[in-house]
Amino acid sequence: MTTLRIAAVQASYVLMDRDAAIGQVAALTAAAAARGAQLIVFPEVFVPGTPIWIDTQPIWTGDEDWFALLAENAVVIPSPASERLAAIAAEHQVWLVVGVQEREPHGSTIYNTVLYFSPLGELAGRHRKLVPTGSERTVWGIGDGSTLQVIDTGLARIGGLICWENYMPLARFHLYAQGVQVWLAPTLASGDGWIATMRHIARENRMFVIGVNPVLHEDQVPAGFPGRDRLIPAGYTEDNGPWLEEGNSVVVAPSGTVLAGPVRQREETLIADLGLQDVAVARRHLDPVGHYNRPDIFRLQVNTSPQPAVIESGTIASTSKLNGDSDEYQTSHEHPHS
Amino acid sequence: MPRVTVAAVQAAPEFLDRAATIDKVIALAEEAASRGARLVAFPEAFVPGYPDWVWRTRPWDDTASTLYARLLEQALVAASPACDALAEAARRLGIWLSVGATERDPAGSTLYNALLHFAPDGRLAGRHRKLMPSGGERLVWGAGDGSGLTTIDTGFGRLGGLICWENYMPLARSALYAQGIDIYLAPTWDNSDVWIPTLRHIAREGRTYVIGVTACLRATDLPEDLPGRAALYGGAEDWLSRGNSAIISPAGDIIAGPLAGEEGIVCAEIDAEVARASRQQLDVVGHYSRSDVLRLTVDATARAAVTFRRDDAEPPARPSAGSAAPSREAAPVPGQPASRHAGKR
Repeated sequence: MTTLRIAAVQASYVLMDRDAAIGQVAALTAAAAARGAQLIVFPEVFVPGTPIWIDTQPIWTGDEDWFALLAENAVVIPSPASERLAAIAAEHQVWLVVGVQEREPHGSTIYNTVLYFSPLGELAGRHRKLVPTGSERTVWGIGDGSTLQVIDTGLARIGGLICWENYMPLARFHLYAQGVQVWLAPTLASGDGWIATMRHIARENRMFVIGVNPVLHEDQVPAGFPGRDRLIPAGYTEDNGPWLEEGNSVVVAPSGTVLAGPVRQREETLIADLGLQDVAVARRHLDPVGHYNRPDIFRLQVNTSPQPAVIESGTIASTSKLNGDSDEYQTSHEHPHS
Repeated sequence: MPRVTVAAVQAAPEFLDRAATIDKVIALAEEAASRGARLVAFPEAFVPGYPDWVWRTRPWDDTASTLYARLLEQALVAASPACDALAEAARRLGIWLSVGATERDPAGSTLYNALLHFAPDGRLAGRHRKLMPSGGERLVWGAGDGSGLTTIDTGFGRLGGLICWENYMPLARSALYAQGIDIYLAPTWDNSDVWIPTLRHIAREGRTYVIGVTACLRATDLPEDLPGRAALYGGAEDWLSRGNSAIISPAGDIIAGPLAGEEGIVCAEIDAEVARASRQQLDVVGHYSRSDVLRLTVDATARAAVTFRRDDAEPPARPSAGSAAPSREAAPVPGQPASRHAGKR
């Protein structure tokens, strides 16, 4: 029976400092790998951290310096930062999954992205969040259907969605249909209701679920952070407490039973051994894309094409670019961002 | 929109006795109505009782066959005196009455796990047949079509629901969300502790009130003459189901229940405006959907195995309900259009 040892890393970061956050990834990956973890998962936008000002101040109010920091510290693919992450995976020969703030090489829009690095140091997958939540819509753009892939690691089929994307039933179903066995849910969502969601999703597709959150105490925001007093107004922590990110990491079995966590208000790496045979066995009870589906009633169509801002054509475009780009559902051409 | 009280009735059926169980439904609905409930919901397959034996018998042995025959005899037929009694109770009490029943067509021998909604004016306003039975249930129940995936405007919110593990069908839930469901019924037999997180998730995902309603039933409640009673239900564990009824707010908070290990009426006050306003945060069929990437089509057509066509009759004779005339499959349920497409709210 195949067993996969996983690590869900609940940790803090140096806010809006990409290189320091990647340093954290390096150190915590080394520690988890030393404990035998084969798949190591970091929280949503761990590099370089949550743009907390979107909830502590009114939108577009004195946020110029903060957004500048975010754009400067976002991860471009490829870049030395993404190559450093790939090298961490290769050094420890682990699958490394990290949430990052991503942007195009010459872009000014930030995407909420999860990167999957293989033990060979390859970028094996990337998912951009399809719909940001509330105030997040003022800092993040939206991904397209080309980054909704389940990845076969050789040990298990892994995939997932980011934070409240986990409430998108159609997006989940698309990934279920690709045979996902271990579901990764990097998130910022706190509270017990989120744990109910993690348990439900595990039971809905009879798979393992790994929810992983950051923690950040107000004292961990550097004293010299620009506009720090406005970033964390006294009234905000009075209402919400000193934890800007409280944590809520959890590991759930295909039965919906909690295997580890939830852990809150401290850094901790949750380690769990996942018996992958449990997935197939549990699906004899319920398989939402197989014997418990009704494809005669429900038909889900998914547009997996990249949707770049511009599709070039004309005499100066290469012939390969011209091939089939007019077909809305054509999927075989290269991702324009990769 | 008015704030109203809703009730989930956790009770034991009069097992495999349709008439006695319906009497009990009416008595408990009266009690709930006297406590102010405007909507009263009963558990999965409550009339005439969930066929729990499917999990205990060898599928084709004599006991299983005998029990199936009795279930067939005691099943509820839509547009029958038994069904009319429920409709009349809803009218007399001025309530919405939602009842899980093992149901069949007038001349049919296949049973369906159905959720029937009776309106305060005495109409059968909706009927949903479970789309996919679970495991052993597949030996007693057929599968419904998409025509029952409807919601009903009660005047205090849009009402609908799915039965038991149908609640793990993301696409079926999406079909209800797309109709603006505010009051989501989840009648079930599942009384595991993981069921409550599922109810809470659905409430959060759909930003809807969720009413989970579960039967509670003990071996000692079963009739003495039940075939196979001693062999199937003679063990030390008396509970077949301890119940698990709960009412959840659109934020995912438990606002009543869960009740376990006893009969009882779980009541809560609900306000559909609260559910709708909370969709500012999340609306999975609106601002939190991506119709350019993910598009669901639902076939809401009523499907009959056989459709009869006659070119020789003038005018075509319309068979009455309960007759042995053909086209019984196509006979519309009172108050329910033969075909009703799942529209946007």
